[in-house]
Amino acid sequence: MSEVVSRANHSAAQHHTGPTSRRVTRALSAGACLWALMLGGAGETQAQVADLDVRTTVFTEPSPDSEMTVLNPSIRLSVTPWDALSVHAGYEADIVSGASEPTKSGGISPDIVSHASVTDVRHVASGGITLRRKETTLSVSYGYGTESDYRSQSISVSGATEFLKRNTRLELSYSRGFDQVCNINYAASLSPTLRPRLDSSTGCFTSADDRQTDDVDLDSFQGAWTQTWTPVLATQLVLTGGLQHGFLGNPYRAVVIGPGGQLAQEHHPENRARGAAALRMRYYIKGMDTAVGLGVRGYSDTWDVLSQTYELEAERYLLKWLRLLVRGRYYRQSGALFWSDDYTGGEPKSGPRGQYWTGDRELSPLSSYLLGGRVLMNFHGRPGDRVIGMFLDLDASFGLDVIKTNLDEFTWAGGEVNDTFATVASVGLGASF
Amino acid sequence: MRKVSKLLLIGVACTSSVGCVTVRPEQRAVLADPIMRFDGNAEEESARQHVLENREGSFGGGSVEGGGCGCN
Repeated sequence: MSEVVSRANHSAAQHHTGPTSRRVTRALSAGACLWALMLGGAGETQAQVADLDVRTTVFTEPSPDSEMTVLNPSIRLSVTPWDALSVHAGYEADIVSGASEPTKSGGISPDIVSHASVTDVRHVASGGITLRRKETTLSVSYGYGTESDYRSQSISVSGATEFLKRNTRLELSYSRGFDQVCNINYAASLSPTLRPRLDSSTGCFTSADDRQTDDVDLDSFQGAWTQTWTPVLATQLVLTGGLQHGFLGNPYRAVVIGPGGQLAQEHHPENRARGAAALRMRYYIKGMDTAVGLGVRGYSDTWDVLSQTYELEAERYLLKWLRLLVRGRYYRQSGALFWSDDYTGGEPKSGPRGQYWTGDRELSPLSSYLLGGRVLMNFHGRPGDRVIGMFLDLDASFGLDVIKTNLDEFTWAGGEVNDTFATVASVGLGASF
Repeated sequence: MRKVSKLLLIGVACTSSVGCVTVRPEQRAVLADPIMRFDGNAEEESARQHVLENREGSFGGGSVEGGGCGCN
């Protein structure tokens, strides 16, 4: 710490003399002191580690009518020049191609089933810093995402501390999102029942007369308590809250709301408050040399969607450098208060189903099963004995999950939906220099 | 009132029991292993959560860092 200050002083003295030089010297000293304070007591140890993670995830939803593929390549670089400071930057993309259903109808209008082709690319760039001092960690990050019809910005801050001899860890985080969604330009006074859907992203985020931009504000709060109970047992409790405000529907989707086939753009409430609580446990079974994880999560929101999630996973070493993980997950949710598969059956003019309408299957009652696993190869090195003469740590992973969704009520114009099976494959490579 | 008292009692008992828990550093060999971490492979988990949140009506409650390693 003092070396930094003295070097700064010496450097300034070499180039300036007189009152100006003293002011510059004082400013540099103050800056150096601030920097040194920020680095804290751990500053003597220079970590100088860079972590690189390159990953690609492929989501496929095979279907005779509504096939969907999403390719998600990502790269993340984290540099830790000192133990007290890490800086990270990342980029990822969602490359979407497939089909979607721009019109949702129930059984009364069976001829209205259309599948539109969808191609889009979402780019997300992010960056941030993490400061550490003894048992405390502070992080700030920023992300910017853009696609043809949606823009997002988010700022996240989080703080974590460990105490009770590091057996207890508490973390609090908050993130704020400032999103914008492209929509068709209609007068605010136009009844929702007469609003058409957006037909394409052409003209979005320009001064085109037939386009407008709607805001979506997102606030998320999270608290987590991680506790070690014995040398082989740890638990984690996570509480999450979220507030959404703005245009929360899909501007491209229209819903049949009249028996004569009258269409209107999907219409959701403008506010949604959400909350989730999750409890997880990890336990190491010595006799099997296996770590077992159990998790349960409950969720509720002001749209009356209630859900429960159960997770089970087990991971063990097959070889010193090879790990195998298998996992299962069951998820079940209720439908939103205003959910209906068919809004043409004499829905009341007042009440949630008369006021709002949706074609979103995520707001319908459903359940899903996930089965999957991951193989991970990890090679450890040391400063004097690097992997392939280059890496402190090198790992490669391959994961595969299959998801089957059961839609209790959602139909395509009364017909069965056939895109309820999906696979998620991921390949990742991580390296520490 | 009885319910509140019971909840308070349970809360106090839980808090007290946490204070008594001491896993010493030399006992952390298993806890420090990556297979015992809640965010064992954070990048992969993030991508998986992204997929799930796009197919379900709920969000939140995901794993965060910390598995009792106490080694940062």
